[in-house]
Amino acid sequence: MSVFEFLSSMLGMRGPEAPRRASGATNAAGVAMPEYDVTDQAPVDMTTVRQSDGRMSSYPPVDRWDDWVEYDSRAWPRKVARRYTLVPTICFNCESGCGLLAYVDKTTFEIRKFEGNPTHPGSRGRNCAKGPATHNQIYDPERILHPLKRVGERGEGKWKRISWEQALDEIAEKMRKSREVRRDGIMYHVGRPGEDHYTNRCISAWGVDAHNSHTNICSAGARAGYYFWAAGDRPSPDYANAKAILLISSHLETGHYFNPHAQRIIEAQQRGAKIITLDPRLSNTAAKSDVWLPTWPGSETVLLLAIANHLLQTDQFDREFLRRWVNWDVFLAEAPNVPDMPELPVGEGSFEDFVACLKTLYAGFTFERAAEEAGVSIHRIRDAAKAIAGAQGGLSAHVWRSASIGNLGGWQVSRCLFFLNVLTGSVGTEGGTALNSWNKFVPKPFKKPPAFSAWNHLHLPHEWPFSFFEMSFLLPHFLEEGRGDVDVYFTRVYNPMWINPDGFMWLKALRDEEKIKCHVAMSPTWNESAWFADYVLPMGHAGERHDLMSQETHAGQWVGFRQPVRRVAMERAGKPVQFTHEANPGEVWEENEWWVELSGRMDPDGSLGIRQWFESPYRDGELISQDEYWRWIFENSVPGLPAAAEAEGLSALAYMRKYGCFEVKRTNYVPYEAGVGTDGAEVDGEGRVVRGGEAVGVVIEGEARVGFKTPSRRLEFFSRTLRDWGWNETAYVLPWTLKSHVHPDNIDRGKGEMLLLPNWRLPTLIHTRSANAKWLYEISHSNPIWMHPEDAGRLGVITGSLARVETEIGWFVDKVWVTEGIKPGIIAMSHHLGRWRLAREQGGNPGMTALARLSEDDAGGHRLNILEPGRPWKSVDPDTSRIWWEDVGVHQNLTHAVHPDPISGAHCWLQKAVSVRRAQPGERHGDVYVDTSRSMAVYREWHALSRSAVDHSPDGTLRPYWLKRPLKPTRESYALPEKPWGRG
Amino acid sequence: MNYGFVINNRKCIGCHACSTACKSENEVPLGVNRTWVKSVEVGQFPDVKRHFQVTRCNHCANPSCVRICPTAAMYQRDDGIVEFDKDSCIGCKACMQACPYDAIHIDPDTKTAAKCHFCSHRTEVGLEPACVVVCPEHAIVAGDLDDPLSEISRVIAAHAVTVRRPEQGTAPKLFYIDGHDIAMHPTAANPAPKTYAFADVISEQNRPEHHEPTQVNYTHRSGSTARYPATQGVPERPIQVSGGRMAEQMVQVHYNAQHDIPWHWPVPAYLVTKGIGAGTFFFFAMGALFGLFSFDDTALIWGGGIGVLATLATTALLVYDLEKPERFLYILLRPQWASWLTRGAFILIGFSAVSALWWLGALAGVLTPALHTVFALITVPLAVAAATYTAFLFAQAEGRDLWQSPALPMHLVVQSTMVGAGSFLLLAPVVSEDLYGAAVATFGISVAADLFMMVFGEVGIPHASESAARAAHEIRSGKYRTMFWRDAVLVGRAAPLLLLAIGWAPTTALAFLLSVFGLYAYEYAFVTAPQEVPNS
Repeated sequence: MSVFEFLSSMLGMRGPEAPRRASGATNAAGVAMPEYDVTDQAPVDMTTVRQSDGRMSSYPPVDRWDDWVEYDSRAWPRKVARRYTLVPTICFNCESGCGLLAYVDKTTFEIRKFEGNPTHPGSRGRNCAKGPATHNQIYDPERILHPLKRVGERGEGKWKRISWEQALDEIAEKMRKSREVRRDGIMYHVGRPGEDHYTNRCISAWGVDAHNSHTNICSAGARAGYYFWAAGDRPSPDYANAKAILLISSHLETGHYFNPHAQRIIEAQQRGAKIITLDPRLSNTAAKSDVWLPTWPGSETVLLLAIANHLLQTDQFDREFLRRWVNWDVFLAEAPNVPDMPELPVGEGSFEDFVACLKTLYAGFTFERAAEEAGVSIHRIRDAAKAIAGAQGGLSAHVWRSASIGNLGGWQVSRCLFFLNVLTGSVGTEGGTALNSWNKFVPKPFKKPPAFSAWNHLHLPHEWPFSFFEMSFLLPHFLEEGRGDVDVYFTRVYNPMWINPDGFMWLKALRDEEKIKCHVAMSPTWNESAWFADYVLPMGHAGERHDLMSQETHAGQWVGFRQPVRRVAMERAGKPVQFTHEANPGEVWEENEWWVELSGRMDPDGSLGIRQWFESPYRDGELISQDEYWRWIFENSVPGLPAAAEAEGLSALAYMRKYGCFEVKRTNYVPYEAGVGTDGAEVDGEGRVVRGGEAVGVVIEGEARVGFKTPSRRLEFFSRTLRDWGWNETAYVLPWTLKSHVHPDNIDRGKGEMLLLPNWRLPTLIHTRSANAKWLYEISHSNPIWMHPEDAGRLGVITGSLARVETEIGWFVDKVWVTEGIKPGIIAMSHHLGRWRLAREQGGNPGMTALARLSEDDAGGHRLNILEPGRPWKSVDPDTSRIWWEDVGVHQNLTHAVHPDPISGAHCWLQKAVSVRRAQPGERHGDVYVDTSRSMAVYREWHALSRSAVDHSPDGTLRPYWLKRPLKPTRESYALPEKPWGRG
Repeated sequence: MNYGFVINNRKCIGCHACSTACKSENEVPLGVNRTWVKSVEVGQFPDVKRHFQVTRCNHCANPSCVRICPTAAMYQRDDGIVEFDKDSCIGCKACMQACPYDAIHIDPDTKTAAKCHFCSHRTEVGLEPACVVVCPEHAIVAGDLDDPLSEISRVIAAHAVTVRRPEQGTAPKLFYIDGHDIAMHPTAANPAPKTYAFADVISEQNRPEHHEPTQVNYTHRSGSTARYPATQGVPERPIQVSGGRMAEQMVQVHYNAQHDIPWHWPVPAYLVTKGIGAGTFFFFAMGALFGLFSFDDTALIWGGGIGVLATLATTALLVYDLEKPERFLYILLRPQWASWLTRGAFILIGFSAVSALWWLGALAGVLTPALHTVFALITVPLAVAAATYTAFLFAQAEGRDLWQSPALPMHLVVQSTMVGAGSFLLLAPVVSEDLYGAAVATFGISVAADLFMMVFGEVGIPHASESAARAAHEIRSGKYRTMFWRDAVLVGRAAPLLLLAIGWAPTTALAFLLSVFGLYAYEYAFVTAPQEVPNS
């Protein structure tokens, strides 16, 4: 005993606390903080490992994942070792599908942390801030652990705990009843799917048109523009090998797909690629760019076409690529018939005539015009054009959300952007931009239900025949108009009242038990919309469920396997688990098992033909288990996986449980050039290779190639589809510019009108899902209004002042952040923040939501007032008492009127701020007011822009069949209804 | 083995992954950060950029936090990692004063100092720190600077790198590629805004009283308009001057982690009580040694009594201010001798023991004149040491330039003498007339001397560094100007001098009390203002 120890003990001073030692399995999430066991084993000494790049080792070697010892960081420098099994899974915050590696304690089965999965081809072992924060979501003291059923009025906040049995029986019964009488009574409304086919397969099995998504408040604009060109609805740039990178969204902080893309974008920049970014706001991406083009929203197309024109006039475009793959012959033959088409030098119809036509058509798009309309220095535009011209074959370009979802006509943004890919011959090339369908790999499940025969007109009404996809954000407006009702409404990872524009219309719909007869909210945590549900069913977070996910993160293909990590850890330890909820916290289920059980009970005797799709391929008549479901896929649908597994002496399922991912293709370039067999096929008059009545390829210079999935099997510069469906004008049939609803002509800055940019993300948050991650909220919890000093000076506000922003239908009050990082005339507000709860002790996390009150008058006026800002509170997590911030943001979407684009169906997010002024006494931070009678008026104004299939369909259908739908019904279902809504 | 970091700002995208990975790996509580991403905005639309800077402990080659730590809870491992041991830490927060980078905090769970420790629990077994592993851009490189083949050595060889605040002499081993002056210089954008771009601002730092830029021009003899020289060390504008349309908008902090200041009222209070404790015995001992006045045991019992009480209060304040007060004995049991906190503790113990014995002797009535002389001889150096060691401790606080003043030992002696001799002004009825007279004279001279040193010393003189200048400026003309000019100078020094002139015992006693008040006010400003100058 040292003198120190002796004296310490004599003086009664406590020595260092002995590390806590757990003795058995626990299940702490939601009720306690996790504890971990101590081991006598020493960690593996990795200091002897020499990495070729001179780095230390980053990860435990895979062969040690099942038994890995690490020193406890909190006990350090005392050496307290703990023993983990490392289970790979997939992050479920944004849509990137990055790999995670859960460190699961071998004794308690509690999760110590999430690191990256080094074997994951997309994320390559790295993560953004949200990956590690998954741990917060698991151990969130506010998470819901048991199914709840409403007992009072909707929204009254009275709940009782029920069993899953009861939930299953009651909801299945309602679904069965609905399915017996109609095929459009069930609606599954999903925010973030986080998986690629599982739920859609269930919906198909039910035989109802149930799929509703968030796409039209997100990516509809971008999807439409890409789709009209190439029948692919997302770009998949090969950033890592790009010569120039052109971004119209902030892919270094958000975007599809943040972390995997950010890695590769910066890699390319380090190698010398130029990054060009269009954004009126100095995003982090803009700040890292070589050329920042702070365009006035809506002017992007003019700028892009000016660059296109530059490439054309200076002959810096890929003639060969255009000649092979663009439908120039169709253009030459049919464009002159477009009524407002300028006089074209179509000549003899040769390719050179087409080039001449292009030069004529776009000649008006000069740098000067672009500079003028965008309000950007002509020098910067020239710099951007020079970099793009120099990137022949290697232009990685991307737009997602941003301008394409911001503006009326935003779908032309992606179309004009892809035009540059086409002109530079950068389609699917190394360093170019591919289509998602080439790089995303979705394996087939064991049994695929046939397409359903149904058309839900609340999803895709006849007025928007091109919508990508469901007109989801108009659901309350459609219900208000009396277009229909919903028997069973599922919301999953979706908070429609909060995230959609015009939330008070959602409030009205969600409260209306005649219109939405049963609302089932599937969510791990409370959200604003779940508060108005009939059932709240707790579902698992990233480490608590099975999903298969693939994303087109780069020019390659992979599948990632999300796993319930406690379950896997328990199974590794020899503890059998039949259902994931046995391993999950409380009574948290995973959706997959829920859907199987629910579907089984919906059709207990198989009479509806539903049950068969949920029966095991391995056990007759029994409902399928998760092990069986994934085993079948991994053994039968993922090329190369069974062999790779066998090489390690593993089953395919065991391989995926071990690695959590599989690389299907390392590289994948120009797949459209692949040859296609012509046996048993015919070549039609337009050079298409047709087999069994379906085009499967196209003859290019005598060779049959796969081509694209467009009707012409080529890139459709000229869109017959748009022409044939009533949009027979130059500005629609070609990549062109459309006048945005926030064009400078529509915003009178002289009168104090401004443009509100509401649709951008912070790198640390993800919609409303991140509110239960304390580490993320600690970094970012407020969303002040960005304002240029010139505007701030004019309005007499400084950073921290309150300002009141009035939109078409209401107003809100928020703090101001004065910055040079925003274009004058524009204000910007990040969309994540401004969460609220309506009860003091339930319905949200007191540190991340404000206690609020909703009130309304008889004339459609609605208010949201903040009663109490964010605050610390006592819970099992000591950190909740350390919440040091108060501002948890201001909700703005409530004040946004709906703006459905007539083509893409996108909600055009950009808002005209009718007035912006300093807040007056009595106006408080977070106050929101909306006049819902104005809501319907604005809806009708935009509705009037649509051109209905009833009036314009060339073939008596509701929608061009070749356009994508998440779940395509049978062809017969496409027929126009006998009595279309609103037509007598 | 010599670990260090390179952070490549060209690659950093400001995603904060390192921040949350660190929270996860090290289970860092809310409210404190071992690493964070500071970001600044520089320029004028559209020529504006945002710059990110991952900010954390620099694992200095010459770490001032290690030197000042009284218990070696903060220590430098042989592999160059600056490590902390929560089991040894007493929570004195001296390391936080010594760190010129705001890298250290008190962990709210353990109440002990914590910071980035290079994930040494990982590096020890050959794994990279968590922030390095998570970073999407591999913008953070960790490794052995001594190994020419290591990645970090090769990166440093291939790039121009820079470090934060090298002038502090700490030899930081975190190197930045494309380090940006605006982000690296803590006071480049001063003060902190009322809100950050996505977070509340609650920091106790960086809250100087706002002054509109005041540029005064005159006509130079050449005929051109010229600018008068501004206050030394206190630029009225951010360091990169550009013609802003609104103040601070051209250079502003977009996000930064926030810091509490470590030392509050107990530290200035301790300086006052220690001054009284040391000063009473110093005055008495000097008188006894040099026969400056006649005295008896009663004088010692009363005057020394005040001193003993003050010394007890000093100890109580010191222990009270520890985050782990129950560990106060660690200073004695696990001394780290380079620390002036350790040395000071032993000095205080020595002084307390001797002075208390002397006083008890008087109380017991067992002291002979010879014994008085012996006690006085031993007491004088101990009292001087007790009064002045704090100057050496403050000088070890590399993060507080104003405290690192060569004049401070002298100033502390003067202050101690002032309040020590002054204590006897309360004792007119029980001390001899000549003792009283000597006390009045000593007090008066000390007050005058202290007034001079206050106004023309640390606070008045131009400073070698901007941090010191800014702190002094806040005392002199900013947030603490009332406390300084009214409380410390007028009420605490000028008024006592006037009261002394009255020559009436009660007003003389009041003069002493006012001087104590003034001393506290001065020390409060002197202790607090430098802590409010940000170091990150």
